[in-house]
Amino acid sequence: MSEEKAYRRLETSQLLQQISFRHMLEAHAASEDGNLTWITSGFPVEIPIAMGIGVVYPEQYAAIVGAQKVGPDICGLAEEYGYSNELCSYARASIGATIKPDQSPLGGLPRPQALLACNNICGTVLRWYDAVSELTGAPVYLFDTPPIDDEQLPHHVAYVRQGLHKLVDFLAKKFDTTMEKENLRKVSQYSSDAIRLWIDSLEACKNKPSPLNCADRFLTMAPVVSSRGKDYCVEFYQALNDEVRGRVKDGIGAIRDERVRLLWDNIPPWFQIFRFFNGLAKKGVVFPADTYTHAWSGKVSGDDLYGSITEVYSNVYLNKGLEAKADKMVQLIKDYALDGFIMFSVRSCKRYSLGQMVTRELVTERTGVPGTIIEGDMVDSRLFNDAQIQTRVEALLEMFV
Amino acid sequence: MRCSCEGNFFMSVQYGIGVDVGSTSTKAVIVDAVGRMVASHLIPTGGSAALSAAKCVERIVADVGIRQDDTPIVSTGYGRAQVNGAGERITEITCHSIGVHHLNPEIALLIDVGGQDSKVIRIGKNGRPADFEINDKCSAGTGRFLEVMSRVLEIPLPELGALALESTAPSAISSTCTVFAESEVIGRIGAGDSVKDIAAGIHLSMASKIGTLSRRVGVVEPVCVTGGVALNPAFRFYLSKQIGVELWVPEEPQLTGALGAAILSLKNND
Ligand code: SF4
Repeated sequence: MSEEKAYRRLETSQLLQQISFRHMLEAHAASEDGNLTWITSGFPVEIPIAMGIGVVYPEQYAAIVGAQKVGPDICGLAEEYGYSNELCSYARASIGATIKPDQSPLGGLPRPQALLACNNICGTVLRWYDAVSELTGAPVYLFDTPPIDDEQLPHHVAYVRQGLHKLVDFLAKKFDTTMEKENLRKVSQYSSDAIRLWIDSLEACKNKPSPLNCADRFLTMAPVVSSRGKDYCVEFYQALNDEVRGRVKDGIGAIRDERVRLLWDNIPPWFQIFRFFNGLAKKGVVFPADTYTHAWSGKVSGDDLYGSITEVYSNVYLNKGLEAKADKMVQLIKDYALDGFIMFSVRSCKRYSLGQMVTRELVTERTGVPGTIIEGDMVDSRLFNDAQIQTRVEALLEMFV
Repeated sequence: MRCSCEGNFFMSVQYGIGVDVGSTSTKAVIVDAVGRMVASHLIPTGGSAALSAAKCVERIVADVGIRQDDTPIVSTGYGRAQVNGAGERITEITCHSIGVHHLNPEIALLIDVGGQDSKVIRIGKNGRPADFEINDKCSAGTGRFLEVMSRVLEIPLPELGALALESTAPSAISSTCTVFAESEVIGRIGAGDSVKDIAAGIHLSMASKIGTLSRRVGVVEPVCVTGGVALNPAFRFYLSKQIGVELWVPEEPQLTGALGAAILSLKNND
């Protein structure tokens, strides 16, 4: 059976290319106008968008570096400059491409005029953006969201909210613009609409066969990360949702012969995104859910938009304790009727990978389904050992015989 | 060797072949239709997995006097994809588990210490693995660790275990990294520790690393140890102390993976 046959391509992929291209063009134009920010994946993007400021995501750029299989080269540029190979490969890739854009995919990212970092995903982002600031001269704004263990404490809520107001002041001054309430409302509406459609597409994967596989979700999540708050983002998710719901209606799965349903935990190995998941598709393995693409599910809504943003962006998956992670996995396994799980221990991302051994035990204890941990990296393929990973994954699959 | 499922197999094939291509050695086994091992062979893997597998199979097929083409083959181990003629390739996790269960159906936990990795497998229903952990990132806690240390101490590997058992005060050797431990051993030599104490420290360090891996899966008795390192008496002694249980070792602990593969070749053809 050829790779094409085991796996069904989404029609919406074409639209995805167009929208990604548009996003890049807008970023270049914004940079030329002195109006571009680089922004972390968990940052409240609704704010700069509502203020008419351009955004682009170094994490997404690093994923492109990974997918183009030049991770070791571009990360190597940062290492030659003095950065440790222990540093997150997203950070290394973006620093490497900033140092030598001419040697990097797409000629690097367009130059930023400000850098917006939110530490709800990790603490690395702050030092990483500091490093980019040194290289580009763009100032950093840190939107600080203290981690949540159990419940968010009232003084934390007040503190994060205060940070939002300061962010607006920072952007207004830096880009000589203002925040119009009405704009924020409109942008939040687009953002919520896109997220609603996205969640509905994710939830459609509860069906058997699952209409989407892991690689589908990892690729189609790009706009909900980078362009939520834009009208064309809503259009894209409407098209995706139509296709996904159509597949469900017709009983069409993402893979042709679905036999085993697994949960994926963590960022994917971008340099192997098709090879890895399509290879498993040939063995009848589909991934109807993962912890990563489910992370973009918070809707900004209601009358108190600042309050809603404070809540949504403080409560992201990575900003919570181990218990919450295990809960999420258990819930996904139950809701999506999954047979087991694979946890990718990503060398770069300590925040995501820390505690996976314990989480694995907890999840198996609570669900009764087996899981395995494979080790590697999302961009730096030097840290990925195919044979070792294959043995672990195949041994897991052999448990379902 | 005793066979747990004697007479259980449907007799459509006369024999089955299992080939286990590990990073250090290649093992091949032939079992008859009721799962009795009738031939086995072990050679160093060397530079070519395909070649060492072919050599091994050629030898055992000749020993038994059967035709290779008529006999199903299952391959396992890191070189499993390279074995020509294999009808199926199954991981060493499943094959070791099946092989040990075949020899002793009571076994609940299997610790396999190979040349370049070590694994702990909880054996579940029908001898299939129910849970497993592998250490394959670091050579500490594998046969390779002992090889390096025997070279540093200039004691042949087969003698290292017996020498270690003479010690009553093992030297303190870290268990985190082979390279790190190597310089520690040189340090202990410089500090005047006796060779037997250092040898004991080396085994203790290795046993403690594998003890940790075992506790992660959960130590459930009875426990079996396989792999070439299972033949080393000092390793067995310290591992047994580390995890606090008696260990059962099959007669030929290096062959259980190939045996499991051979058993599976019969099952897949019945
Ligand atoms: S360390 Fe993890 S969360 Fe932080 S930037 Fe890198 S990949 Fe993202």
